[in-house]
Amino acid sequence: MKLYFVGFAYTKEEVKVSRSLVKFVAIILVIAALFYVGLYGLDITDKVRFPGILDEDGITQGLDLKGGTVIVYKAQSDNPTDDEMNTVVSMLRTRLDNQGYTEATLTRQGVDKVRVELPDVQDAQQAVETLGATAQLIFADPTGAEVMTGKEVKNATAEYGQTEQGMTKSSYYISLELTDEGRTKFAEATGRLASQPAGQNYIAIMMDNQPISMPQVHERIDSNSCIITGEFTAEEAKALAANIKSGQLPFSLEQVEVRTVSATLGDEALGNAMKAGIIGLILVLLFMLLVYRLQGLMADLALIGYVAIVFIIIANLHINLTLPGIAGIILSIGMAVDANVVIFERVKEELRLGKTVRSAVDAGFHRALSAVIDSNITTIISAVILWVLGTGTIKGFGITLFIGIIVSMVSAIFVTKFLLKQMIGMNVKNLWFYGVRKKEQDGTLKGGKA
Amino acid sequence: MFDIVKNKKIFLTIAGVLVLVSIASLIFRGFNLDTDFAGGMAVTYQIDTAFSVSEVQEIVDNALGSDQSPSSVQQSGNEVIIKFGFDNNLQTDEERSDFSMNKIAAITSALQEKYGTPVENTENTENNENAEATAAPEAEATTAPEAEATATPEAEATTAPEAEATTAPETEGEEATASVTGVTLKNQDIVSPSTGRDLARSAVIMSVLACLAILLYVTFRFEFTSGVVAILALIHDVLILLGVYSVFQWSVDTNFIAAVLTVLGYSINNTIVIMDRIRENTRHARKETYAEIANNSIWQTMTRSINTTITTLLTIGMVYLLGVPSIQAFSLPIIIGIVVGFYSSVFVSGSLWAFWRDSAVKGKKAAAK
Repeated sequence: MKLYFVGFAYTKEEVKVSRSLVKFVAIILVIAALFYVGLYGLDITDKVRFPGILDEDGITQGLDLKGGTVIVYKAQSDNPTDDEMNTVVSMLRTRLDNQGYTEATLTRQGVDKVRVELPDVQDAQQAVETLGATAQLIFADPTGAEVMTGKEVKNATAEYGQTEQGMTKSSYYISLELTDEGRTKFAEATGRLASQPAGQNYIAIMMDNQPISMPQVHERIDSNSCIITGEFTAEEAKALAANIKSGQLPFSLEQVEVRTVSATLGDEALGNAMKAGIIGLILVLLFMLLVYRLQGLMADLALIGYVAIVFIIIANLHINLTLPGIAGIILSIGMAVDANVVIFERVKEELRLGKTVRSAVDAGFHRALSAVIDSNITTIISAVILWVLGTGTIKGFGITLFIGIIVSMVSAIFVTKFLLKQMIGMNVKNLWFYGVRKKEQDGTLKGGKA
Repeated sequence: MFDIVKNKKIFLTIAGVLVLVSIASLIFRGFNLDTDFAGGMAVTYQIDTAFSVSEVQEIVDNALGSDQSPSSVQQSGNEVIIKFGFDNNLQTDEERSDFSMNKIAAITSALQEKYGTPVENTENTENNENAEATAAPEAEATTAPEAEATATPEAEATTAPEAEATTAPETEGEEATASVTGVTLKNQDIVSPSTGRDLARSAVIMSVLACLAILLYVTFRFEFTSGVVAILALIHDVLILLGVYSVFQWSVDTNFIAAVLTVLGYSINNTIVIMDRIRENTRHARKETYAEIANNSIWQTMTRSINTTITTLLTIGMVYLLGVPSIQAFSLPIIIGIVVGFYSSVFVSGSLWAFWRDSAVKGKKAAAK
């Protein structure tokens, strides 16, 4: 590239030029470094590591990419309370943990639904069966005989305090409230079990045939309320109480949506999307370079910086990437240069008015700023609505769109401006580089008013 | 330079006709609702041996029996997508989920009988490991010392069926899966009819909220006329987008909703940039009418409008060209939205703004006389 060193009457001209050159090279190195980190990650020490997207676990794949099963449960009740729905969630959580689905995620959806995502699970039928619809909570004696069911428990709460008189230590315990029928059954069983030798004197609380707690019985309990003690932490006590309560949900759950995606389908989709992203990026880079020349080159550098930052955010904040989410990122590459296009067109106009490059760039950025901000905020509004109110893949798309717009605005405004300033500092002032013909400037062409 | 604002009749007529056709189609034709909305089952199988759609259709019809709505079979490469609805007599979600599970199982076994059963893939082995890992935390969770003794048989019960599944066919890991041909279930969606209603409701709520928020923002940053014009342009874009899908009866699913909402936020960009220019030019204007200001502003931002549309189309276009069907279903409406949005921004919004502003001025003058 030919650089035009026009001898303007700046003092310490050469110092300025070299300073700009140093800054310019520095930011290019920064962008290159960011890009490297975005791809391959960065080791700070042996233990601290920032992942890059090419790392094994760099991309947190959404279910539609990873493969797996989604089941949406709906409460068969007109107006389930918040409390009831949270109990449903904790019940499903317990059941999933019991069945080994430890990677499952659970989210409330709307007022009366719970969304269960089971990564890697292909057999929807089996998942649905093991998750079942209603919890089976029973209290059983050591021989397995049923003492009573969850229906006989009116309420279960986690509490904190002294459980026995004379004890100085406070601890967490679960307080059960029984129905009259439950009281009778419980009294009979505890009376029988209290006399049994140690090891045979407990009541097992079973959820779906899995023991969740086995409190020992020391004496006959004939009361509408009783407590379960143990070495509970606050969380354990709360979880146990919630589990016991879930045995008496006033409604049943039905799956209204079951979706399975095979892992191979996701692999293919991800591969194609990546290819589309790379080609799209190259096309945009070329387009900007051809149309806006030097300014386009600066925008391209900023765009590469933008892609690098998005990679770093995705890898380090473990953003759940869904297929529409990836499409959102690729789309945002096209949108990201929009701010630059607005600014550059403005700079060109200022140049045509006969301004010097320096003041044209300043004025262009300054005047275009309101358009850039206003047009991006309307898109941000939509992205936030999708993020907050959307579910599943729509939500994923909202998040990536939001990240894309924020980062692109920053890179287009600040990074590009910084780069262009260095160009001017290096005295690159030939108008051709800025996409304006010398004639145009002389002829004071004003926008469309020819 | 061609005066867009002066020739507004042509452009507004085109926009108006398109919007009316869209509305008419939406009313009389409606949408071709995908399983996401209509409720029903969509099952994708990969069939490695040679097959024909009519053959598969026949197998599916036999497997489904008479007690259900008609099914459709589509082929794409070595995959078939089978869609069918619920039996209308089914009342509860429970009945529907039993129905769907049974029918899908019936189709799967009927297809596998005809085209062969592939060897179980490695998924089961993984599940098996998961199940074994469960035994430990359970034991910890229990409070009594007897916990372990009780938990162990339970854990075995969990692993047993899966272990059987893994050992029954001659599994040899992944290589075996690749070499054996047959029918594999790749994707299955079961959606209750109520889900579609909820989805449609949330889509409408999101759209209305987005429109209101944008109207508020534009009114706050510009003025009310600009806000109304921006929203009209937006409604124009979305209606035509919906209209295209209705006229051509392209199928509408969840991804389409996300795409429409993206268009809602993005197609307005060009309008905003033009409005921004109008705002600036109005400040400096001396004698120009609003129509002149609008026309100048449109042309001053024209290169930008075109270039931005090109860069966005370059990226989303690549996604469409190279993507799998589900991502195409998402990118196509965005492409349509961007094109329609360009039209409404450049040829409609400025003219509408000028028309209202100028008639307000005329109104004032008339009142003064």
